[in-house]
Amino acid sequence: MSQKLEKLIDKKGLRLDGRKPDELRPIKIEVGALSNADGSAYIQQGKNKILAAVYGPKELHPKHLALPDRMVLRCRYHMAPFSVQERKSPAPSRREIELSKVIRESLEPSIFIEYYPRTSIDLFIEVLQADGGTRCASITAASLALADAGIPMRDLVAACAAGKVDGTIVLDLMDTEDKVGTADVPVALMPNLNAITLLQMDGILTLEEFEKAVNLALEGCRKIYTMQKEALKAKYIAVKEVEE
Amino acid sequence: MSSRSSERKSGRFVLPGERLGVIEEFIPDAGTYVKDGVIYSKVVGRALLDLLNKRVSVYSLVHVARVPKVGSIVLGQVSNVQTQNAGVRIFKIGKMLLSGFFTGILHISDVQLRYVESMFDVCKPGDIIRAEVISEKNRVYHLSTKDKDLGVVYAFCSRCGHMLELRRQMMHCPRCGKIEKRKTALDYGKGII
Repeated sequence: MSQKLEKLIDKKGLRLDGRKPDELRPIKIEVGALSNADGSAYIQQGKNKILAAVYGPKELHPKHLALPDRMVLRCRYHMAPFSVQERKSPAPSRREIELSKVIRESLEPSIFIEYYPRTSIDLFIEVLQADGGTRCASITAASLALADAGIPMRDLVAACAAGKVDGTIVLDLMDTEDKVGTADVPVALMPNLNAITLLQMDGILTLEEFEKAVNLALEGCRKIYTMQKEALKAKYIAVKEVEE
Repeated sequence: MSSRSSERKSGRFVLPGERLGVIEEFIPDAGTYVKDGVIYSKVVGRALLDLLNKRVSVYSLVHVARVPKVGSIVLGQVSNVQTQNAGVRIFKIGKMLLSGFFTGILHISDVQLRYVESMFDVCKPGDIIRAEVISEKNRVYHLSTKDKDLGVVYAFCSRCGHMLELRRQMMHCPRCGKIEKRKTALDYGKGII
């Protein structure tokens, strides 16, 4: 970020990539992208490209980690070395370990973890290309992968971020907006139960701005939910027709 | 309300968390759960509304994730054999292949109805065995092969590793000529794993 940055929002009120403040990036979701996993999903959100895979439920080894009354959700968020401009070491960084935890905790309330005691579910999230907002896109994809694996769930989880850039509250921040902007609020939502499973804030917002950002992010989550729905429909209704 | 009338349609495609009705009008059945008196789906599938019996269920379009239950028929590989017990690595439940595995134990008393001298006459490490889960007490899956179509479905020679052939109740190795004993299933060597 050495060069002078041009304005993040131009005179017409449009952002760097020509979006309006309350507009999402173009999203493409595919369910069942991997055949060897029990469940999988692939998401493209703007320049983000993320794969999520689910394996399980299976016996947990080492056995002393197993819980007698519920299953263990193990989550690994990982960025490929080629996913960012400068090569990222493939070893799990501090940030990736934290995001793994954050993603796990935002998905756990949506699963009936008490159905399969003493087992584990492994969830692998691989970021192939990153452009800001990967945690939200990962949650969106991971939730679909879990549904694809046939794990009983209370609801799907859709996630989206909002933030403040050049004094305006905007939806779905991309990398530059995230880095240069003033604030970032990622939110994950279970749309049918109307329950928030993840809420973070990075930066400085006033109380009014925060409320506005959260509401904008929730609106974004609902939009993403309809796309999740379409993606699952596209897979399962197509499969049904082939079988018949 | 138009959204209300679409809720009533049977065969509707539903996702986890989709509202199916309230407990005053339906009895929740398979594939559903109840929260605050409202019935929701918990799998991806099609909603089935049985208006006669007032039941609502979701027919899953996905392979529902499964773990061994009492009564399920499982397929596994024998991992170790002692005189009284054999350890089995379960890799298939019913028709569903697992991505991981579960471990089960076959005790000598559950092998067959008549007396069995030693577990080594029942199976050997590496054999593929079909068994029924009879108990999951003490966090262990206890298996049984008492039925005719349960037992070893594929056996391997303990000397050379070649697949054994069943001839007159005994197992013959076509490569090295060794003769062994097994508790075989009715369809030994014919089944598909």
